[in-house]
Amino acid sequence: MNTFLRKNLVLTITLSVIVGLFAAAAQGMESKDFVITLLRGLSVGSLTFLVASGFSLIFGLLDVLNLAHGTLFMIGAYIGWTVFVRPDTFVDLLTPFILTVSGFALRDVYPLLSDRIRLGLRMRRILPWALILVSVILFSVILPRYPISIWSVENYGQSPVTFAFMADQATRLPTVNAAFEEIAAPLALGGLLLASLIGAFGISLLGQTVQSASRISWKNLVGFILLLIVAGLTFIFNESLTGFLLGINSNWLFLISVLVAVACGVGLGALMEATLIRPLYSRPIYQLMLTLGMSAIGIEMVRAVWGRPEFVMPKPALFNGSGDSCPAVTFADWWNHHCSTILLLDGRVRIYNEIFIPIIGLIVLISIWILLQRTRLGMIIRAGVQDREMVEALGINVQRVFTMVFALGVGLAALGGALAAPSMGLSNGMGESLFLNALIALAIGGLTNYPGAALGSVLVGLIQQFIIKYGQIGIAIPFTDIVFKPTPPLVPASTVLMMVIILLILPNGLLGKKE
Amino acid sequence: MEHILEVQNIHTFIGQYHILQGVDVRVPKGSITALLGRNGAGKTTTLKSILGLTPPREGKVIFEGREVRGMKSFDIAAQGIGFVPEHRAIFRDLTVEENLKIAERVKGEYLRKRDFIFNLFPDLSRLIALSGASLSGGQQQMLAIARALVADNRLLLIDEPSEGLAPVIIEHMMAAIRQLSQDSTVVLVEQNFLVASQLAENYVIIEEGHSVKAGAMKDLVNDKATIHRYLGAA
Repeated sequence: MNTFLRKNLVLTITLSVIVGLFAAAAQGMESKDFVITLLRGLSVGSLTFLVASGFSLIFGLLDVLNLAHGTLFMIGAYIGWTVFVRPDTFVDLLTPFILTVSGFALRDVYPLLSDRIRLGLRMRRILPWALILVSVILFSVILPRYPISIWSVENYGQSPVTFAFMADQATRLPTVNAAFEEIAAPLALGGLLLASLIGAFGISLLGQTVQSASRISWKNLVGFILLLIVAGLTFIFNESLTGFLLGINSNWLFLISVLVAVACGVGLGALMEATLIRPLYSRPIYQLMLTLGMSAIGIEMVRAVWGRPEFVMPKPALFNGSGDSCPAVTFADWWNHHCSTILLLDGRVRIYNEIFIPIIGLIVLISIWILLQRTRLGMIIRAGVQDREMVEALGINVQRVFTMVFALGVGLAALGGALAAPSMGLSNGMGESLFLNALIALAIGGLTNYPGAALGSVLVGLIQQFIIKYGQIGIAIPFTDIVFKPTPPLVPASTVLMMVIILLILPNGLLGKKE
Repeated sequence: MEHILEVQNIHTFIGQYHILQGVDVRVPKGSITALLGRNGAGKTTTLKSILGLTPPREGKVIFEGREVRGMKSFDIAAQGIGFVPEHRAIFRDLTVEENLKIAERVKGEYLRKRDFIFNLFPDLSRLIALSGASLSGGQQQMLAIARALVADNRLLLIDEPSEGLAPVIIEHMMAAIRQLSQDSTVVLVEQNFLVASQLAENYVIIEEGHSVKAGAMKDLVNDKATIHRYLGAA
């Protein structure tokens, strides 16, 4: 223990100073304010951590600075919102989505097929692109005509803002069921499946190496058939599924929307890595440009689909109660009445924002820690961070681990987004501010250090919330009558200032290792 | 004689540099073969080219009768080739045990091979819980070789096993390599001719990206002219 202290003297002193500062901050305010501010700090810290941890895992293993991470956080929030507020749209989207991905489930079959085709070198080069083009044309003809009940960005009465408001009041706006008008149903479904098969074949031709797999695994075929069955079921039972989702308890619906958001994030991450990031591993500058561009594209797409105005996502019933018996006094009280707030030291604490989110943050922190320390995948990730080539030389498919880690990182961001939606609200800019927070947190904690990401995120969240609180109550400067009230611009400035100070003392961040 | 590995006229580029310009290596099964040559001659690149870490653009790499050039590195390694790189490349953040476990290709391999490995390197068994970063150079070298032994590898590629080690430890290392060569074939890159000549039965000399001479080590030891010309040592 003694040697540990001596080795980490600077770190110990820095951490004690930070703890001392927070203790001093506690002296300046009532204890109930302190508790609330502390919890709010942990809440912001948890959301920051969900973005920061994914970003740092990806950077640590793949050396990719994913500047689109904040945008992916935002997309997670919008997807969660859609499933929660408009389950009918979600159900309508299921069938075409499953059909679109089903072609890729047959990936082992394509090499066999391409071995059968004997073509000249030039045709071999053109064929994949021709197939992809055909598939894109098919998709762009069919998808816009596929009936999906959606909101209208132009018409306020039918806009996401109104839907969100009404859902928050626990009354849902009636929606019009989409019906096949512009295109016949069998044509649309068959066309999508065909487009998916052609596109997947084209993409598999592009990525083919000299040696091709020569056997079809049964898993492949079974997966494909299962997907088709699921697509058929969601198509046939569209309305009853919508009715079911609208009918169930909003807590379950919330859980489903978070899970769907995470699944979409994981899928999107895997897709991004496999198609866009992978060709650019040896060109870091191009990666930066690419992810920066994708961030801008993502924001514009969200604007096009959901519109510019900010709107809310209702909290699930468990955290949304009000009435005579609220705020709750004990947690048992809360459980019985589902109050949205609870009294702690006479201060009103919002359960979802200030207790639920930090708990989820803690759970994710521990699960990822277990994944990294106790599983084979985690072992490979930790080894790969240091020496990719050696991991590969052991016979491990590092490429697949890269895809998994990228998918995991994006999934964490999407989880953060979906969780943040009910507390932060939805806006086009929600990703950017949190991403900036996450970057600062990583600089403070140590760029590729997992516990460092957690520590940095919590510090960033805490300092912001304390500055906000002191902006309301003011800091009495000792021996004078002056009360200093930090203005709102000081909130982001304070975190940057803290980063600068910590980096001056510990250039690798609090827990970062010396290179 | 049966060859476990045949490298035929490979050409490897690193960036725009044409590093290997025609290297042939034939490794008889069950032998120790040393790649000799001056610094920068292309010995390490030859090992990496066999594994596809620096993929050759031309030529053939045939392992156990199967062409492996063009396969991905991890696939080549998974055919049964173990690699002990220069500077050991121990995973510093992993414990000694994890460094061994990560090399498993089939679940449970580590447990099955554990006794064999610790019999070869008794020191490692008491270091098992330490992190890779806290090992000495000699211990790291032992761990790097042990790691290549966990999976079922018929061929071991060992790069500079004696580099930076004290003479006593080199002795120990040589004994271990000799012992493990009874079960698998070894290709070894070695700067220290004394070590190479005592260990290996065959040699290939690589000079400026070409394999210039190959044969039995016992012939080379007496061929002072060749040693002087290509290796610069007496």
